[in-house]
Amino acid sequence: MNFNLFSLIHGNFLIILVLYGAGMIIPFFFPRQPRFQNLIAHGAAIAASTAGVVLGVLGLFADSPPVFYSLSTLPLLSIQFRLDTLSSFFILVISLSGVPVSLYATGYVREFEGRYPMGVLGSLYNAFLLSMILVIMADNGFLFLILWEVMSLVSYFLVVTEHEKAESRYAGFFYFVMTHVGTAFIMICFLLFYQENGSFNFEAFRSSGLVMPQAIQALVFLTALVGFGTKAGIVPLHVWLPYAHPAAPSHVSALMSGVMIKTAIYGLIRVYFDFLGGQFPWWWGFTILVVGAVSALLGVMYALMEHDLKSLLAYHSVENIGIILLGIGAGMIFQSYGLSHLAALGLLAGLYHTINHAMFKGLLFLGAGSLLYSTHTRNMEEYGGLVRHMPWTAFFFLIGAVSISGLPPGNGFVSEWLIFQSLFLSFQIPDLLMKIFLPIGAAMLALTGALAMACFAKAFGISFLAMPRSHHAKQAVEVSLVMRIGMGIMAAYCVILGLATMWIIPLLDRVITPFTHISIAEKVISGRGWTIEPMGVTFASVSTPLLALVIVFLILATLLLSLLLGGWLRKRFYKTWGCGLNLKPRNEYTSTGFSQPIRQVFSTIYRPTVKLETEMMAESRYFAKRMRFELTFQPVFQKYLYDPVVRFFLAVADRFRVIQAGSLHLYLSYIFLTLVALLLWTTL
Amino acid sequence: MAHSDIGSQLVNICSMLLLVTTFAIVSQRRLSACVDLFALQSVFLAVTAALVAFLTGIHHIYVAALLTIVIKAIIIPLILKRVIERLNVTRELVLNINIPASLLICGGLVILALSVTQPIKELGFLLTKDSLAISLAIILIGFFTMISRRKAVTQVVGFLVVENGIFLGATAAAYGMPLIVELGVFFDVLVAALIIGIFTHRLQDTFDSVDVSKLTGMKE
Amino acid sequence: MIESAVIQLLQAVVVLVVSPFVIGLIRKVKAWLQCRQGPVLLQPYYDLAKLFQKEVVASSSTSWIFTATPYILFSSTLTASLLVPTFLSQVPLNFAGDIITVVYLLALGTFFLMLAGLDAGSAFGGMGSSREAIVAALTEPAMILSIFAVGLTAGSTNLSTIVHKMALSHGIMSDPPPHLLALAALFIVTLAETGRVPVDNPATHLELTMIHEAMILEYSGRYLALIEWAAALKLLLFLTLLSNIFFPWGIATVMTPFGMAVGTGVWFLKVSGLAVLISLIESMFAKLRLFRITELLGVAFILSLLSLVFYYILRVQS
Repeated sequence: MNFNLFSLIHGNFLIILVLYGAGMIIPFFFPRQPRFQNLIAHGAAIAASTAGVVLGVLGLFADSPPVFYSLSTLPLLSIQFRLDTLSSFFILVISLSGVPVSLYATGYVREFEGRYPMGVLGSLYNAFLLSMILVIMADNGFLFLILWEVMSLVSYFLVVTEHEKAESRYAGFFYFVMTHVGTAFIMICFLLFYQENGSFNFEAFRSSGLVMPQAIQALVFLTALVGFGTKAGIVPLHVWLPYAHPAAPSHVSALMSGVMIKTAIYGLIRVYFDFLGGQFPWWWGFTILVVGAVSALLGVMYALMEHDLKSLLAYHSVENIGIILLGIGAGMIFQSYGLSHLAALGLLAGLYHTINHAMFKGLLFLGAGSLLYSTHTRNMEEYGGLVRHMPWTAFFFLIGAVSISGLPPGNGFVSEWLIFQSLFLSFQIPDLLMKIFLPIGAAMLALTGALAMACFAKAFGISFLAMPRSHHAKQAVEVSLVMRIGMGIMAAYCVILGLATMWIIPLLDRVITPFTHISIAEKVISGRGWTIEPMGVTFASVSTPLLALVIVFLILATLLLSLLLGGWLRKRFYKTWGCGLNLKPRNEYTSTGFSQPIRQVFSTIYRPTVKLETEMMAESRYFAKRMRFELTFQPVFQKYLYDPVVRFFLAVADRFRVIQAGSLHLYLSYIFLTLVALLLWTTL
Repeated sequence: MAHSDIGSQLVNICSMLLLVTTFAIVSQRRLSACVDLFALQSVFLAVTAALVAFLTGIHHIYVAALLTIVIKAIIIPLILKRVIERLNVTRELVLNINIPASLLICGGLVILALSVTQPIKELGFLLTKDSLAISLAIILIGFFTMISRRKAVTQVVGFLVVENGIFLGATAAAYGMPLIVELGVFFDVLVAALIIGIFTHRLQDTFDSVDVSKLTGMKE
Repeated sequence: MIESAVIQLLQAVVVLVVSPFVIGLIRKVKAWLQCRQGPVLLQPYYDLAKLFQKEVVASSSTSWIFTATPYILFSSTLTASLLVPTFLSQVPLNFAGDIITVVYLLALGTFFLMLAGLDAGSAFGGMGSSREAIVAALTEPAMILSIFAVGLTAGSTNLSTIVHKMALSHGIMSDPPPHLLALAALFIVTLAETGRVPVDNPATHLELTMIHEAMILEYSGRYLALIEWAAALKLLLFLTLLSNIFFPWGIATVMTPFGMAVGTGVWFLKVSGLAVLISLIESMFAKLRLFRITELLGVAFILSLLSLVFYYILRVQS
């Protein structure tokens, strides 16, 4: 390895540590100046994230992964970081979104000034970003778990920022419990590796992964799936996500939804493709595929029923994690059948969607944050007509909506297209069942995509279009410049990721080459670089830059055509046709009304209960005085999965209450007896 | 070999049509349409059988084909139509499982049938070997229809669909059963249809409904 | 290069010119079936010309989305049409996108149309958008799966490759069971996507039944003209897909002027034939209730799934 590059990377890493450290500590020196604290904390985060972008890029181009050591006196725990291409990619994702989010945060946290300690908020924010970067780089199982726990704790504190609200506390508690259940499973997973080799170093994991008995490997697979899946929010472990993500301040939600859940994707790839060397039976990939398809579909379905904008976005994270897993699952299936070219394609598609989702979800959360900032409500039914008051926010939100719905030429389209292609290529698998199930996965992805489109037509249409539905919406004003710039950068990312496929795909290819041992970039990107073609141009190809060009050209041509056919535009404004009535905001379609057909069609899944109370006028029973409409959904997972588990544990705890007598002597004797028993056991 | 290629192609098309009519039955609410579709399915079955008879030169299958037309495409539908007319039930309003879900489940059953017959098929050498998976799928879907529907008439149709599936399977696996067995089966089916027809009448008399879930009331 | 550009331009002109005719043809045949004289075949052209000349009356509560939508819809639909082989099996622009791209380009137009429906703030627009959302969502899986089933034969999702291979292997006759099923599925999808009976009635303006018309209720003048034209283009696109994928007979497989002329003529006849079929269906069936559409589209999905299964049942042997 080039020594200069290494020292550059090393220096860069130190700079990041120092900057984040500064962002964590310095704010506390200025307790009386919240505005300054804000600037220091988020300024440090911006600088550190910029350095992180550099680190990610350098890491991608390093010939061999640089390793950073620090001596440790603790057994098993060696403080060791490693920056291979996979880590670099995820650091790039974190840092790329870190910059605009931090910028946005400087404006956004103004709202909290005076209400919450700015120093704590800024410090936690820096700690959160730093912990994510360190988790990605950790090269020791023990260290990984500690950092993972720090990341979870810090994000927990951020979730409960508005701790005076009961819902925030509930969300935080829920998150806290779930994330620890997840950590426990990851711990089991790592202990299984440890048991094999007696070391927590990832290097040892790599060597022991290959020689493990198959049953243990299967156990590793499942524990990693549950452990990381809890963080990622796969169905049915997603239940905490729609509570916790919306409760956090919006810039933190953007990071949690866009970036933090990606650390779980990182963990899964690390364990399956790195530690286990990419050798696995077909059912692993198939399980991932099924989990992905179910998460994608249920995620978007639940999102459609939300009218809290941030919860809606949180459910979309479940959906998009599902889509990512569809790509990764397809890649794993191909890998099991030795089709490494296709495996690389599936994995690449999954990673492409990972970075895309980070950007558009971040953008959408920032947009939702701007709405919250201006209207002080998350309820979409109280928005409306905001496109006139907040044109920039609306424009950026629209870019995010088009991207997440997978519409061309957005970035979501590119990655979903790649996933479609890798699912279609299943015809090369020798096994008949896979040949049929992968296309069904594609059909589910198609349904997911269409429902996501419907959901964002709803989210954008109800929030930004038509007439304001509430006083708040009428009073809304555009957010400050820094917030707009933050959203603008995110939107620019989305556009670039959609159009610059010729540069992105080779980068992603570098990320996965060490794991699939094959480079597909030259095959996938055609000669001139304008098209993506997984198997050559006669198989299938797409070129988003060209499509964008054609669409723009045709829009201009259409303008010209209408000019030719009809002359200059003559336009008159008049009020909307309302059957002779004066339309009021209350006549508009609501978010609940918009999704009613979908609710009815999929009622088996939603299990809605509708309560309609009508109070009639005294004079006549034909004129309603008041109507009350109440709609609730049965929380299927909570009712059939979580409640029984909770009940079980409570019942068990009830039994154990016998030993809790509250007497100090009794407790001391417990300890004494345990000690004696242990001593006896060692002598035996 | 061109002759047998076209032959197996035709057999394939016929068995496809059989499966499609089975799905059509699942997607129908109107009872008389179900019966009509069953008749249509039986016609396709007869054509398949006749094709197999022609291609293999085994003549007794012609007899079976003819009997299929007479009994399953004409007599039984007539009986069922009369039952429907007499009882004045035209639609299946309450379903145990709604139609889109039923369709999806049946799609799953087809895949199940396909995967189960996969190893058998590789051993096969007959020109009808592709139909084996389809016949199993038809049998499963027929069963499913009997489970998911509540009106006695649709259950009869489900039963008959199962029978059609078995017939197709026998033709596919072994170029048909011995003639005497087939005659017996046809007779059985006819009698069964008659008995169920009468049973439906009794159900109507006793419970004022042909909803078989009412039968649970008899357990005391 | 120039040759390719000329061919693409030619295709754009051809589809733009022919698309209103298909609408006119459907209306005419329907009128005949109902023993009416009906408007002349060229009526849609007159309508478009008139609408372009007219003043636009826009709702005062609308935003730029409302203004931009007709242009976005029209150009995205036209872009999609450019990717579909019409008279020549190898479209020069085919590398810009495959059939999945076509599907998603159409979705882009639908997305903006749904937004425009919500923009005016009337309940009609919202109703239309809301219904369009569910129909579009339920159509998609059937569409993707039937496309996959067809694509398997050609081993590609590139439309030009599919059509080219199908043309060389005599279309539907090469492998009938899966193709027949995929054809049936795609036909139902066509009816749903283009808003024809039994899914939607393009002729109605009755509140409770309209879908597409409800979304565009507030449009007038040249905006309406663009939207109507885009709808005609979309219909023509689907008919072209159906005819050229399943009956690619007569399409030019090499780039010769004579071949392309013949290709255009044959394509026109095939598309007209399908249009007549649609008018027959529209005369024979009543519009389904909104929630029965699920069953119809469920059938389409199952047909496409069966098509896939049949493809493998026939293929794995030998």
